Amino acid sequence: MSEVKTIETVDIKRRQILAGATGVVGAVGAAFVAVPFVGSWQPSDKAKAAGAPVDVDIAGLQPGQMVTVNWRGKPVWVVRRTPDMLSRLTELDSVVRDPMSESSEQPAYAKNATRAIKDEFLVVVGICTHLGCSPLYRPAVNSPDMAANWRGGFFCPCHGSSFDLAGRVFRSVPAPTNLEIPPHNYLTETRIRIGEDASEGGQA
Amino acid sequence: MSEVNKKVSEPGGLLKWVDDRFPLIETWNAHVAEYYAPKNFNFWYFFGSFALLTLVIMIVSGIWLAMSYKPSADDAFVSVEYIMRDVQWGWLIRYIHTTGASAFFIVVYLHMMRALLYGSFKQPRELVWLIGMLIFVVLMAEAFMGYMLPWGQMSYWGAQVIISLFSTIPFIGPDLALWIRGDYIISDATLNRFFALHVIALPLVLVLLVFMHIVALHKVGSNNPDGTDIKKHKSPEGLPLDGVPFHPYYTVKDSFGAVMFLIFFAIIVFYFPDGGGHFIEAPNFEPADPLKTPDHIAPVWYFTPFYAILRAVPDPFLGVAAMGLSIAVLFAMPWLDRCKVRSIRYRGNSYKLLLTMLVISFIVLGVLGALPSTPLYTKLAQIFTILYFAFFIVLPFTSVNEKTKPVPERTT
Amino acid sequence: MKNTFLRKLSLMLAVMMLPFGLVHAAPGYNIELEKVNNNVRDQESLQRGAVLFANYCMACHSVELIRYNRIARDIGWTDEQAIENMAFNQAKAVDYVKTRMEPGVSQDLFGIEAPDLSLLTRVKGNDYIYTFIRGYYEEEEGKWNNKVLTGTSMPNVLEGLKRHASDEAYDQATTDIVNFLDYVGEPSKVQRWDLGWKVILFLLVLLVLTYLLKREYWKDIKH
Repeated sequence: MSEVKTIETVDIKRRQILAGATGVVGAVGAAFVAVPFVGSWQPSDKAKAAGAPVDVDIAGLQPGQMVTVNWRGKPVWVVRRTPDMLSRLTELDSVVRDPMSESSEQPAYAKNATRAIKDEFLVVVGICTHLGCSPLYRPAVNSPDMAANWRGGFFCPCHGSSFDLAGRVFRSVPAPTNLEIPPHNYLTETRIRIGEDASEGGQA
Repeated sequence: MSEVNKKVSEPGGLLKWVDDRFPLIETWNAHVAEYYAPKNFNFWYFFGSFALLTLVIMIVSGIWLAMSYKPSADDAFVSVEYIMRDVQWGWLIRYIHTTGASAFFIVVYLHMMRALLYGSFKQPRELVWLIGMLIFVVLMAEAFMGYMLPWGQMSYWGAQVIISLFSTIPFIGPDLALWIRGDYIISDATLNRFFALHVIALPLVLVLLVFMHIVALHKVGSNNPDGTDIKKHKSPEGLPLDGVPFHPYYTVKDSFGAVMFLIFFAIIVFYFPDGGGHFIEAPNFEPADPLKTPDHIAPVWYFTPFYAILRAVPDPFLGVAAMGLSIAVLFAMPWLDRCKVRSIRYRGNSYKLLLTMLVISFIVLGVLGALPSTPLYTKLAQIFTILYFAFFIVLPFTSVNEKTKPVPERTT
Repeated sequence: MKNTFLRKLSLMLAVMMLPFGLVHAAPGYNIELEKVNNNVRDQESLQRGAVLFANYCMACHSVELIRYNRIARDIGWTDEQAIENMAFNQAKAVDYVKTRMEPGVSQDLFGIEAPDLSLLTRVKGNDYIYTFIRGYYEEEEGKWNNKVLTGTSMPNVLEGLKRHASDEAYDQATTDIVNFLDYVGEPSKVQRWDLGWKVILFLLVLLVLTYLLKREYWKDIKH
């Protein structure tokens, strides 16, 4: 290999610096390339549009009635609770697992005794916190298809979890926490926007 | 010396653990660190590594497109626009893929040109050439099926024309075309099966063929612009005097080349993504409509030379046959060219003249194939089709007793 | 050595580009198209164009590959402004921009379904649309034809605009409409332009480094 310079005449240091610089800049370039490919896994505009807040008109909702709306592909229930129903909630404080919703998911404005902005209207994600089934609405006291002493609430047919009319989970059922309350706010007296906290100036 | 080139000889730790179980260092040394490539590669020798780079770009961007694309006649067109508009960065990934398709052919055509210039297809590299030609054919199929996926007017009618070619084959033609379509017209069924072939079947074949192409090349060693055999002159240690280890010399050189290539690539992606209507054709922004043929159907530019040959022949089946032959005849190059001298630098005028004629014919046919057919253009296409084939017919005779110059013993 | 390399490369690129130049991919039209001088970076023009499009075109046409909130984001409106200016508060921000016409009405009135215009500029080019919307002439009293697309089913919707506006205002308005359609044809165009030169600049830095590295190593090799 007479044509190849010997080790003595090669500026190893310069080579190392150049190779290092090229490697570093090349790695930065690779990171740049990764940005669009990683970023494209973020929800697309279509997904965001589907996940956009939904408005529900509650003007026609009768006391005791429930309406289900689809928000981000999940059922969200809006229940108009009667004063009777509300008064029964306090009685249940001792038999529910998390009466003050300390370890459950809800926005700060729904972390209260009735788990609602306005006591009358419960807005709750209709998915059991156990394994994701959608519970049934059984508002009547001693509902015939329910166990004895049923005080009105939600019952999950999958594994028998049950919740009261504030979505609070009863003790000794598989579900660990209360039903989730989604962000929501009142656009008007009769219009609730689900999926968005109250913006400034709006009524929460 | 061993510090200068990065030959790994005595590993330790994890590397040793792996190497005891997998021929890692052996492979690295055989194909990179101790693979001796001629030292006189010129810019024509960049295109092989560019092609490999393009393959990687296409596979990665293609995987990402497949994540949002919907292979159904109802959804395909809208899903492509969904990628262009709604998917974060989708526009960039799609333009990379469309640009990559054209870049692939530019690079591959130049890579093939290099082989014709320096006789890289000749003994002992016939298999390298044959595998390369197979890559080219599979690449054309891959590109054709990929072009159908956006389900625009050009996708649809281009596919219609190409698949109709099969129906000109005597006896079995119509049944064959029906079988390829899986329907009486190009339809959802066709789109769906072409999607499957485009995203998995043909890429697998391509990767395998590329692997074999490189293995075959490394068995016989690279040719060079002088067409000499670098293994003839070796140092006392048994290393080719005119060769340099691929790593680091050609890894650094190809890195430089790759960045140069990426700059051109980025210019297209960011500033001319539709390539003046050649890389993405305007009618393809209209959804496929089986009831309305566009005014002028032209295949994408990389198919136009062959398309011009097809149109130049009046009889439909003979046209298809001529088109097929124009590609098939390239496979025979190692045996059609009987001159012992490889590089054009030392070959006679007859080869230089013939090769110029071939290149001109190919380019003119490419232009004609993109233009609407008029009597004049058809006449021209016929003339240049004859000139194209003349290369392959005349070459065996002129190359036997070609007046060549003496080939130097060593590279220059 | 270096010079011949660059010379060869540029020569080869020039030769490669030549055939592309010989073939005009855009279809030819039998009339000379007017050149439109629009700029998709001009947000005010886009806003005017969007309003004009909503007023004059959306009675029949959709651009249903784009949403109101995307338009708002790109042309400098709030979502509410986009809904108010383009849909008269009759749509949600996440909705696609759809015509106000009920399905089938167009078929009854004009004998043809009014096409979606989302990709019109990419199919036909800006100049074609500019010339087309300005290309109406009165064949006889009250009967209009178009010099670009003879016998078009589309009525001369800009007639009133042209009659009441100055020539400059009319030129501006038609340019704004085309500008808006140009934007809708490829909403990410400005983003593409703005990112491109940064990528190329970065690659140029890498090019210099790889070139130096290559030259350093190739000092070993005598030619």
